[in-house]
Amino acid sequence: MSVTRDRTDAARPAVPGLDLEASVDDRTLVDACRAGRRDAFDVIVQRHQRQVYQLCYRFVGNHEDASDLAQDVFIRAYRGLHSFKGNSAFSTWLYRVAVNVCLNRVASHAPRLAAFDLADRPDPRVERADTRLLRGERAAEVRAAIARLPRKQRAALILRVYHELPHEAIAEIVGSSVGAVKANFFHALANLRKLLRAQP
Amino acid sequence: MKHLSRAELVDFIEASPHMPAARARHASTCSECRAEADALRSILALATTDDVPEPSPLFWDHFPARVADAVRDEVPGRSSDAPAGMRWLRAPVMTWAVAATMSLLVIITVVWRTTLHAPAPVMVPATGAPAAANATGAPVAGTASSDESDVDTDEAWAVVRAAAQDLRWEEAHAAGLSAPPGAAEGLALELTADERSELARLLDEELKPNGA
Repeated sequence: MSVTRDRTDAARPAVPGLDLEASVDDRTLVDACRAGRRDAFDVIVQRHQRQVYQLCYRFVGNHEDASDLAQDVFIRAYRGLHSFKGNSAFSTWLYRVAVNVCLNRVASHAPRLAAFDLADRPDPRVERADTRLLRGERAAEVRAAIARLPRKQRAALILRVYHELPHEAIAEIVGSSVGAVKANFFHALANLRKLLRAQP
Repeated sequence: MKHLSRAELVDFIEASPHMPAARARHASTCSECRAEADALRSILALATTDDVPEPSPLFWDHFPARVADAVRDEVPGRSSDAPAGMRWLRAPVMTWAVAATMSLLVIITVVWRTTLHAPAPVMVPATGAPAAANATGAPVAGTASSDESDVDTDEAWAVVRAAAQDLRWEEAHAAGLSAPPGAAEGLALELTADERSELARLLDEELKPNGA
């Protein structure tokens, strides 16, 4: 899910005859969906599910909650398709929905971070066991520290570091200025440093 | 030269092209800014190494079906939670709280006005003469007794009287309903000479033993 303009703004094919197997741009799929082509939304889900899931995972820290949250994001997106005006890329709009759902979720639930699992770690055949263990422990500490960041700082950090979105796109997604996003990102890194330093 | 701002530090560690050359030069010569930037870079590098565990491939196959099932009975772009005319029902809790408070205030005001503060009912005189006299602007005989009668028949006053009937001075005092010290003196000073003499007369009558 890249935050760029959708593939084309050119004339779109007639919705009833739309070939969903072809590389159709997101806006055409949205139009088809609004016109009653439910399968168009399936294509949208397939196209963006991985990024949405990963974003949700970053906020909640475990697979079960992340998959439920990702489903919730797509349900809300489906219900809110009328509010997508096409002023920004569909992916930006979907990110906005996802971030709102995630922030609402973390506001009402304490994160249940997944226990450190060696199976999650990189290929064991090319990494020594002790190195793996340290890496895994450190990653779990980082995740736990990120989960303790204030909401806006967490959103800025996740979108910037793990989704590699430009600050301008993040500002559009979270509805604030670029300066505010950079300030939140700075504070997120500074607080992360404090939290990790404070750990035994 | 001024140290880098937070946004400039972010631009510096990301090697942003938006970073003005003069500020970048400062960052490369200022030990404080460099130390700050190095610390941020190291924590950024640490955070970047953490990957999201990849779910089972089956998860990606089943996920679209899960979503499709969840939205099966819905029209795209329209919430199924409530019909269009009923969406206001999904307003946030604050809206409901404000609406409930407003309703409560209206009810209290209505009850207050219709009971305690209702105007005293107009007493119909026993004969038409006083009314006729009043119509001509002449003083009405027996006004005082008419006022007493008003008090007796006033529903609002009846409510107060009923509430106060079983109230003892000690209880009222304990509940903080007694007048503050000096209030009676203050009130007496505000009375006119006629009012004070009338008050004295009423007190005399009240304090006299019966039959005296």
